[in-house]
Amino acid sequence: MILALKAGLDDPLRLRRAESTRRVLSLTLNPDREVDRIHGNGINTIDIEVVEGRYMLSGGADGVIVIYDLENYSGKLHYTCKSVCTVGRSNRYVHKFSVETVQWYPYDTGMFVSSSFDKTMKVWDTETLKPAEVFEFEGNVYSHHLSPIARKHSLIAVGTKDPKIHLCDLKSGSRIQVLQGHRAEILSVRWSPRYEHILATASADSKVKVWDVRRASGCLFSLDQHNGDKSKAASEAVNTAHNGRVNGLCFTGDGLYLLTTGTDDRMRLWNSATGENTLVNYGKVSNGNRKKLQFAVSRGCGPEFVFVPCESSVAVYAVHTGELVSTLRGHYNNVDCCELHPDYQELYTGGKDCNILAWIPVLRSPDVEDEPKSANQAAGAPSSVNQAFQDAWSSDED
Amino acid sequence: MNRKRALISDTFKVKKRRNGTQKFGAVSDGDGPTDIRSTLEYLATLFPRKLFNDSLPQIVLKHQLYSIHDDKTLVDKELNKLREQGELLMFQLGFDADAFGLVFAADYKSKVLAGEDGRATRATVERFLAKLLSPCTELSFSKDKMLKEFLFTDSEITQLVKSGVLTVRDAGSWWLSIPNSGKFTKYFIQGRKAVLGMVKKSKYSEVLKAELEERRTTSHVKFHMKYHIHDIVGAELVESIPTTSGTLLRFVDS
Repeated sequence: MILALKAGLDDPLRLRRAESTRRVLSLTLNPDREVDRIHGNGINTIDIEVVEGRYMLSGGADGVIVIYDLENYSGKLHYTCKSVCTVGRSNRYVHKFSVETVQWYPYDTGMFVSSSFDKTMKVWDTETLKPAEVFEFEGNVYSHHLSPIARKHSLIAVGTKDPKIHLCDLKSGSRIQVLQGHRAEILSVRWSPRYEHILATASADSKVKVWDVRRASGCLFSLDQHNGDKSKAASEAVNTAHNGRVNGLCFTGDGLYLLTTGTDDRMRLWNSATGENTLVNYGKVSNGNRKKLQFAVSRGCGPEFVFVPCESSVAVYAVHTGELVSTLRGHYNNVDCCELHPDYQELYTGGKDCNILAWIPVLRSPDVEDEPKSANQAAGAPSSVNQAFQDAWSSDED
Repeated sequence: MNRKRALISDTFKVKKRRNGTQKFGAVSDGDGPTDIRSTLEYLATLFPRKLFNDSLPQIVLKHQLYSIHDDKTLVDKELNKLREQGELLMFQLGFDADAFGLVFAADYKSKVLAGEDGRATRATVERFLAKLLSPCTELSFSKDKMLKEFLFTDSEITQLVKSGVLTVRDAGSWWLSIPNSGKFTKYFIQGRKAVLGMVKKSKYSEVLKAELEERRTTSHVKFHMKYHIHDIVGAELVESIPTTSGTLLRFVDS
């Protein structure tokens, strides 16, 4: 395959995709890489910045926010990702209750936004660790999201205990729009990575709605698990995405598909343009979370993979075929969030056991070089083992 | 060397990648194109006909197929194809939102008509079946559809409900159903609970599949043990783990 690449027959993207896929398939816990243990309580959310992929934010159940440096400049194999700074309990502006979502500002690491159960959402300045803006709400804030590709707007979509979705503007500091349509609390909101005005929201009333924020009227469509086939469901369950609360939303890297998970222990894949259920059957994806579930989809791999936290392990499924590729076990308690490093195919997962675990792809063992035989015959067959490694100590008689 | 405490590397479970997953102890075959039809026929043979005095067609549950074939999406696609061809009928069984029963169309027709012999409602049922097998992939019917598309009158709909072919879903819509299947549902749920109880009560809540099949069943379990095992494995109520002594079934706490 490398030969084909050198000859120009293959697109260089193919090599990248094949290698990313191989790396994702060989993710394991590596004893050489640890993340500093700062949180004293469960970790609710993790976010890795998009610009460099160097800094990671984590929000905990005690209201503490920690920033870690993921890069390894020490030169040693064993590396602990140290925390750069924390918004600890001693900070004047720290959240009073658990932090539910944190997200870096998509364009640089000078700013990040965090929302918490103390009914506020704070926009922090990373240098001074002081909030530049505080948005107050009437109910617990479950989830917020900033669009990663937005150029024309700087809206933050916020999902709270209210059935209304608030859109807050970063530039003016006010709440400019409210999207009505859900009947119960909003557990998760997500902007599409393809179009900057498409927003998907998941709610405890079992519905997932897709909105265009430029439209004044209601949502574009609501995802229906039976694809309009009213005969399949009981009459109350018509037009629902799941048979229980929908608590996880994730778009695939190209924004063409949307994955949702619900408390009915199912995960579904939807076509994000038409809202059609692709009916890929992942089997039972156990989910008991009352709050939102953060899961991740790989980007740039051959068959895309989705990493879903299931109880205390992380299940890896192939997105389009639904087969369970592997289960990553290592946490001692429920896993709440997982985030994939975009460039290195490393998975960081955080859970109720106060640990963030790093799953690193296993490095390929160095191949012993096969020299072409014809060149050897003249020089005499060289030994493939280096002279220095040959065993000169032990004898055969013992 | 006496190892009283587990090594750190054990906790981290650095596994070697096995090239071409070597499944030992697992009976499931993965040969070539998955033949759903033959699996359906095999599962249908496990259904006890004598128990219901031959009045019920052989019912297979959709998730029983998941326990035999690995790729669930493929199984779903094949089933939809068979349903569109008019060979297979799917029913919502009622006790679980996800439990769907599958019956071969020919079987269904013959059993229903046999049950209707000598009854006044026979003609209506025949007409309904003829419309149904034309082919129909719906699980339920609304009043609109019955009146307009199928051209049935209200009294005829009542007759269909009486004969058991339709079951009330809510005001103005009906599920397609199998007549006299109430007994089936009752025995099925009883048997499922009993088998699950057997697995749960075992030491460590796990039991080898071969051993479970050998066990003496209580009077609650009226179906073949294998029928129930396929059901609980497919519905993911137990985890199926391949071991060197065969497949192990471990109860899943949910």
